Amino acid sequence: MAILAEYHKPTSLPQAFELLSDPASRRVPLAGGAHLVGALETRQRRDIEGVVDLAGLGLSFIEQDGAYLHVGAMTTITDLTEHPLPAELAGGILPSTARYEGPLNLRNAATLGGLVALAEPDSETYAALLALNASVVTVDLNGQETISPLQEFADAWPAASQAPSLITGIRLPLGQAAAGHARIARTPMDRCIVAAVAVIRADGKSARLEPADGGGNTASARVALCGLGPHPSLADGPHSPDGDFKGSPEYRLAMAGVVVRRARAAAGATQL
Amino acid sequence: MPSPITLTINGSLHSIDIHPGELLRTTLRRLRVYSVKHADETGESGADAILFTRTPEDATSYRLVNCGLILAAQADGASIISLEGLEEESEDSATRSREEALSPRLSALQQQFIECGAIQCGYCTPAQMLAAQHLLDKDPQPSEAAVRAAIAGILCRCTGYLKPVQAVLRTAAQLQGKTPPPLEIDVRDAPATGEWPTPDELPPDGWRGSGPDTQTQTRSVPVTVAPPQTQVVNKAEPKVDAVKLAKGRPVFTDDVEMPGMLYGGLLTSPVAHARILSIDTSAALALPGVHAVQTYADLPRVIYASGGQSYPQPPPYDQVCLDSKVRYVGDRVATVAAETPELVQEALERIKVEYEELPAVYSPEDAMQPGAPVIHDEDDAQMIHDAKGNIAVKLRVDHNDVDDALASAAFVFESEYRVHQVQQSSIEPHIVITYWDEDDRLVIRTSTQVPFHVRRMVAPLLGLPVRRIRVVKPRIGGGFGGKQEMLIEDLCAHLTIATGRPVKFEYTRKLEFTSARTRHPQRLRFRSGVDATGKLVAMDVRVVADTGAYGTHGLTVQMVTGFRALSTYWLPAARFDCDVVYTNKPVPGAFRGYGAPQALFGLEQHMEEMALAFGMDPVEFKRINWVKEGQSLPMAVAMGEGREGFPQTVESSGLAECVETGAASIGWDRRNDPEWKAPTDRPHIRRGIGLAICMHGTGIAGLDMGAASIKLNDDGSFNLLVGATDLGTGSDTVLAQIAAEALGVPLEQILIYSSDTDFTPFDTGAYASSTTYISGGAVLKAAEDVSRQIRRHAAAHLFDGVDANQLWLEGQKVVAPDGQSVPLETVALHSIHQEEQHQIMATASHMSYVSPPPFAAQYVSLEVDTETGQVTVEKAAMAVDCGIAINPVTASGQVEGGMTQALGYALCEEMPYDPNGKLQIDRFGDYRILAADEMPQLDTVLVQTYEPTGPFGAKAIAEIPMDGMAPAIASAIFDATGVRIRQIPFTPERVWRALQREES
Repeated sequence: MAILAEYHKPTSLPQAFELLSDPASRRVPLAGGAHLVGALETRQRRDIEGVVDLAGLGLSFIEQDGAYLHVGAMTTITDLTEHPLPAELAGGILPSTARYEGPLNLRNAATLGGLVALAEPDSETYAALLALNASVVTVDLNGQETISPLQEFADAWPAASQAPSLITGIRLPLGQAAAGHARIARTPMDRCIVAAVAVIRADGKSARLEPADGGGNTASARVALCGLGPHPSLADGPHSPDGDFKGSPEYRLAMAGVVVRRARAAAGATQL
Repeated sequence: MPSPITLTINGSLHSIDIHPGELLRTTLRRLRVYSVKHADETGESGADAILFTRTPEDATSYRLVNCGLILAAQADGASIISLEGLEEESEDSATRSREEALSPRLSALQQQFIECGAIQCGYCTPAQMLAAQHLLDKDPQPSEAAVRAAIAGILCRCTGYLKPVQAVLRTAAQLQGKTPPPLEIDVRDAPATGEWPTPDELPPDGWRGSGPDTQTQTRSVPVTVAPPQTQVVNKAEPKVDAVKLAKGRPVFTDDVEMPGMLYGGLLTSPVAHARILSIDTSAALALPGVHAVQTYADLPRVIYASGGQSYPQPPPYDQVCLDSKVRYVGDRVATVAAETPELVQEALERIKVEYEELPAVYSPEDAMQPGAPVIHDEDDAQMIHDAKGNIAVKLRVDHNDVDDALASAAFVFESEYRVHQVQQSSIEPHIVITYWDEDDRLVIRTSTQVPFHVRRMVAPLLGLPVRRIRVVKPRIGGGFGGKQEMLIEDLCAHLTIATGRPVKFEYTRKLEFTSARTRHPQRLRFRSGVDATGKLVAMDVRVVADTGAYGTHGLTVQMVTGFRALSTYWLPAARFDCDVVYTNKPVPGAFRGYGAPQALFGLEQHMEEMALAFGMDPVEFKRINWVKEGQSLPMAVAMGEGREGFPQTVESSGLAECVETGAASIGWDRRNDPEWKAPTDRPHIRRGIGLAICMHGTGIAGLDMGAASIKLNDDGSFNLLVGATDLGTGSDTVLAQIAAEALGVPLEQILIYSSDTDFTPFDTGAYASSTTYISGGAVLKAAEDVSRQIRRHAAAHLFDGVDANQLWLEGQKVVAPDGQSVPLETVALHSIHQEEQHQIMATASHMSYVSPPPFAAQYVSLEVDTETGQVTVEKAAMAVDCGIAINPVTASGQVEGGMTQALGYALCEEMPYDPNGKLQIDRFGDYRILAADEMPQLDTVLVQTYEPTGPFGAKAIAEIPMDGMAPAIASAIFDATGVRIRQIPFTPERVWRALQREES
């Protein structure tokens, strides 16, 4: 039932920007479509005349770039989790959280760029990216590339993107790390009410591992939370969740402590 | 602007013009790839999953994706495999042998899906099989977990996934050259019920209780035989409709092409309670391609009740097709017919409605307050109990003096419970296509459980006589009560009348949630007394039920609540007092179980709590009180289906055996193992096991009627025409098995067709667990009549001087005591063409004044995370006495699927509202239906008894699996934590809060 007047599939970033920067056109970028097509179909999005399909821009790739992993924005969640480099990061935290992004048929369409742009509050893969200290690579109209830490990115996107820019990929630091994950949901595979992902890196000062009970040197773990705000965020910030039928603010706040403790303990229990 | 794309579909290249917003699903269906199904707009259902790649040269690059979440334009140049593409392995059709063309080939996976009973309604089957085949191509020996993960994105509401998973694992074994393990359906006979009748022997009292047969034919020769003497009945026959469903053939309402067809759409109310001051449709009508816009001003105002039930409809009569007042968010405002779905949407958005908002109420408690807004203030509504008080129906039933009995009881206990609103959520939405045929008769092709009720009910709304309406029920993609309603047929038909064109109207998933039907929420208060030995002396049940904005099934659902609450345990005195109250909320209706799951959630916990307070073991307490063989059901007379009922006596019960068998399956003894209950390695976990007793009905006594007609063909095969409505349950198969058994032929000799109001005899429809028993009774009678005609003709013309009564039918022959036999084909050809020519054919009806209860024991084991409140069910085991299972595979499939829906009711399905009465869920996912990869272990045991009034000893099984899960889980949570939770669903926060309260 989608009411759409235009479909474009540019083959270069400048072409894409040309299509997207026309202020009269009401066009939006289309990645995998797993979210946007449904939003058009249900008329949740009614402000769109055309879509600009990013599939022709060569943005589906996974490359090692020195101490970093560079993943293209059009890489599907499945490709991300099946590729050995991202799949093995921190004991496999990306595949183990991606299971909760939705079943296979949705993960086969949904892209990493879409996941980052949407920043859904219950996206545990997003939380894993935060805990892994991922950065977002964006390119603007003039071809200027910007790399921003993911935790700063969600608040600024897309409000700050008055001048069109596109997420082209993310950068993930490589290196030995251990991760832990804890979640609360209505059913085993449901999207979470509250969840936490903790990552402990085996580099420099943070190489000392925490005892399994989660005490000790907690500063060495980087922990991200789902369900405590409009998008996943680092655990150390202030949280004032809105609450919904799945969990009240009080419950979410109480549970944040539980899942953070459990995720830390699970990460700490892993041998690096 | 249409633009061309190319698609390779199952190896063939197609070029087609598409619109920019067109979904790939739409394009594929335009190209007649009918196996891709519409179930939702946001992808959670996965019913439209296909295999997709842009690099077909790499065979491993195909991915399972939902074609409803891909624009056709995105797919330009892609290669696609649908279920249709799995059929032919290498050769193209030109080189296929004639044999293959005549006898369709099935893949190993399709064969296993059919053999295992993995297909119920078949709506999700194409996507499920495609996902499974994709897994097997990559991983020929998958683990069960891998199979479950592979199909997890395709929601199934019928099967509980057990049989599909089994089918995939068996296919893997078969493809590896191994012999798949035998199908295991745990069927055992209840020892307590004595001996089976033998073929030569009538049931003890003949066909007692099935009515004086003034309305129906008398049974002539009961051919009732019990296992193991049967040839077709009580056997795991594959479903008669399985091949077409396994092949994804166009069998559902939507799978037809109509020249000139328009699309229908519905504008719904954004506010909970308002008068419509004005509607301006001019901007919508001005759009080229919009053919009709209808509002209350365009349609005749005819009062009706929408619940699909027998004539006369139970009151109240409180609906009209379109009204000038709206009573909930989602209520009907206006309809549109236009040339494309996009135009429909645009037209709906151009209708300008001015509302005068009225105060609204969202709970029965508020609605019953003096001065509350009156929801039905129209002066033409009929038979509302107290419109000004918002009370749609008032029920009050007394059996002996409850107050006296309670006053003299040794111990009295009182407790209160709450149950919430959930939805049937069939994977196929409500869909209807209406058109004028060449004789100016209106054809309604609709996904319904009640085709005959729809025809009768829609006629006055359209101003057409019944004879000018034909209702066709094709295959149905699940109903569960949601389609026991005349829900949208009227609106679609009005659009066809206005435009003269065929119109298709299908609900979106959002409309399903806001504007279809749901389960009644209730508050239930129980007060019971026992004597010094623990025997119940009286029970007093007070229920306040929420029927939303309209009454529909409000009377009858709540009547069942009362009947179930007050009949499962034997009561010398009982009282049911119930208010069914209007609120400004989406409308409850029929939902599998029909008031019983609500009643049993309260009753079973009340009994358990009472036993503990009284100081008795709860199971023993239930055992001494549950209703037993030979006992009467005193409430049955007072509580009919909106009218006086009929006396009932329990003739068969395997309940004691069910309780024992289920206990062994669940490992009841673990309740006494502290190590299991509080595992030391996971200090926040507590484990528990719970039990609930269930009792249901089998059809509505003295009301439900089904008819069947059987005709002998030239080759000795039979056409069996039934009005009964197979929603995917397998009822066509069960009915055909009954006919085959009685006519002495294998199942494939019975060609069953259901249902079309022009061709098939009447049946009330698929509800009230009635089809096997009632419609099956009709099939048996018709078969017996045809058998008699065959034997008479054979005796007269083909046997020398043998008495027709001494002949019998067996192995497609008429057999005489001396061993002579004549093939049925010979009798058929002779009777049709050669001598005393006539058509051997019979029609029979069946109605029953008794409704023999099936019984069951529902067990669950689970763990509670005491820090978070999360409940994880480990295993659910149900032992069911369904009489003789006509088909053990379809019967166990009913139990598995029912238990799974019941798990959703207890754990995760809910319909939350914002403060303005707007539903906060509009998609699967938020409305959580259990997926294949998160299911507990399911165990089903069929404990067979012989029900003397049923065809071949059968009782019902369809609804009872819905009844016991929520109370069993409550019981298990109590066993695990010592905390009693009297409200469902057991979501993490509710359980956590209960645990917190207990601590403080």
